[in-house]
Amino acid sequence: MSSVLFKSVVKNFGALNVLRSLDLAVPDHKFLALLGPSGCGKTTALRILAGLDMPTAGKVFIGERDVTRLQPRDRDIAMVFQSYALYPQMTVAENIGYPLWIRDTPEAERKAKIGEVAAILEIGHLLDRRPRQLSGGQRQRVALARAIVRDPAAFLMDEPLSNLDARLRLTMRGEIKRLCQRLSATTIYVTHDQVEALTMADLVAVMHGGELQQMAPPIDIYDRPANRFVATFVGNPPMNILPAALSEQGVRVGAKIVPLERTRLTACRLAEIVEIGLRPEDCSVAQLGEPGALPGEIYVVEPMGNETLVNVRLEGGNVSVRAGRDFRGAVGESIGFAFDPANACFFNAAGLTAVHRVNSNGREK
Amino acid sequence: MQRAARARKYRLQGAGLDLALPYLMLAPGLTIVLGVLVYPLWDGLRASTRAYRYGSPVADVGFQNYVHLWSDGQFLNSLWVTVKFVALSVSFEAVLGFALALFCLREFQGIRLLRTVLIIPMVITPVVVAIVFRLIYASDAGMLTALSEAMGGGEAQILGNPLNAFIGLVVLDVWEWTPLMFLILLAGLQSLPHEPFEAARVDGAGAWRVFADLTFPMMRPVLAVAIVLRTIDAFGTFDQVFVLTRGGPGEATRLVSIYGYDTAFKFQQTGYAAALFVTIGLVVLALAFSAIRLLRRVDAS
Repeated sequence: MSSVLFKSVVKNFGALNVLRSLDLAVPDHKFLALLGPSGCGKTTALRILAGLDMPTAGKVFIGERDVTRLQPRDRDIAMVFQSYALYPQMTVAENIGYPLWIRDTPEAERKAKIGEVAAILEIGHLLDRRPRQLSGGQRQRVALARAIVRDPAAFLMDEPLSNLDARLRLTMRGEIKRLCQRLSATTIYVTHDQVEALTMADLVAVMHGGELQQMAPPIDIYDRPANRFVATFVGNPPMNILPAALSEQGVRVGAKIVPLERTRLTACRLAEIVEIGLRPEDCSVAQLGEPGALPGEIYVVEPMGNETLVNVRLEGGNVSVRAGRDFRGAVGESIGFAFDPANACFFNAAGLTAVHRVNSNGREK
Repeated sequence: MQRAARARKYRLQGAGLDLALPYLMLAPGLTIVLGVLVYPLWDGLRASTRAYRYGSPVADVGFQNYVHLWSDGQFLNSLWVTVKFVALSVSFEAVLGFALALFCLREFQGIRLLRTVLIIPMVITPVVVAIVFRLIYASDAGMLTALSEAMGGGEAQILGNPLNAFIGLVVLDVWEWTPLMFLILLAGLQSLPHEPFEAARVDGAGAWRVFADLTFPMMRPVLAVAIVLRTIDAFGTFDQVFVLTRGGPGEATRLVSIYGYDTAFKFQQTGYAAALFVTIGLVVLALAFSAIRLLRRVDAS
């Protein structure tokens, strides 16, 4: 296993600027999720690491080795593709054993290794079948087995779960996480699904527009987003953003002035805050006219079973609220919107986070 | 009462037209198929069981024509020449076409133009191709002779020498029909999924192993179809030989098609020629079926 390092990697496709100077360091044995919307450059970054695409500028290191100009086969990596990319005319056993076979591993050793990984992934009974005789989940397992049959410097996974149905995705998510922890492997996992990124990874790198927005452990990505993009991309439903203005007493949101601790207020004023970000779980519905509540109107009600998501239309825009499972309200009804400012994020005009959520409860570093 | 009867009548008329319409629509096409395919086939089969004199049937001879074929040295020789010709041409075309298709799969400046140029021989009228090749091969003023004399040699004897004439015919066919192989195989290559090839590169395979382990096995069905198509077509080669050598010198390039033509139109043995072509048709049919069956078995295993 090895660390992975991107050094000022740039990739252009013609005039299209896909990666603008990506710097990224993945420590040894860590599981990194590259998270971002489609077109953000995450897959391109992975393909450059694999050697399937060449960077326009910059360098890529695996361990201490500069691999920028090396062929994929000389990089000592294993990759799982979104479409599994199994070899259609080979049996499952031949598929799994291919990376060993190509390296002239003796047959006995190869067979033992195939049996071993097949047992780990519970596909021992499928070894004589061909890929087209397998279900999507089984193909996924074969692709994983082919990746782990060797002991490469790093595992690369390109949206491996996105072709599976929802239930299977849930199961495989847990399995891949267990597998990677067991192998203690350096893993780069590309996904557009924030739940996958947050639940599986040791580190999440959020990308947008060909640039790295933030790299941090999942909980910090959630609690201390570096900017407005990360704040609204991560979290489901996403963070509510409302325009905010500073006053002597606190932050003015709509007609309400939210009192803030003096230190936070000072920090906000210095950073010229213009927006406030509120996670839906820090918001609540209230009686209309209740002190501190903003007036609004129910826009959509979505019962989830364990809770109810209420979308409330305010003057400054719509906000999502996590309400209790017993919430009852009709669309169009007037309602109050309240929130707890203790966990709010504040953004300045450039969209950068000036003051983080969870600032004062001991998580501050 | 009267109104109800009229309504029923209209309904029946409607139903009648609806029932007849499909057949009316089919009729023109069906007539053409019957006229140019089914009737000639039946007429040919009937002719193959008759003996002809001066272009008219004179006697029913049953299967005698068919039996006679297998003791006819000229027919057996023409069959052997045809088999050699088809086997040589089609294998060269397959190998060359595959190589060209692999080469043209990559993207670079001018690739579209190259792909287009490579297809040109296929779309030229075969007779024109043959005339051009006769000009190249001609021993007195041909291009090969000019080339040979420029290098200090004598006249190039292509069409006058049995072996050279046969090779010259194969070269012509390869030149003209490699583009078809190229086209089919290029389409096949382009339809292969990308990811397994990328996976193989990451897994450690070099260019040769990628070809041997992935490209070739995945292309086998397409290759088989292309070869079957070309084989069937090559069995019927006529115009190029007719223009280039007329089957000569001697019987060196006399394919079954030329022998059959001579039999029918030079020697007026219409019945015997019909039997010959029905036999060749059956041979080609059997070849095609066994090739397809072979293909299915490979696919299923």
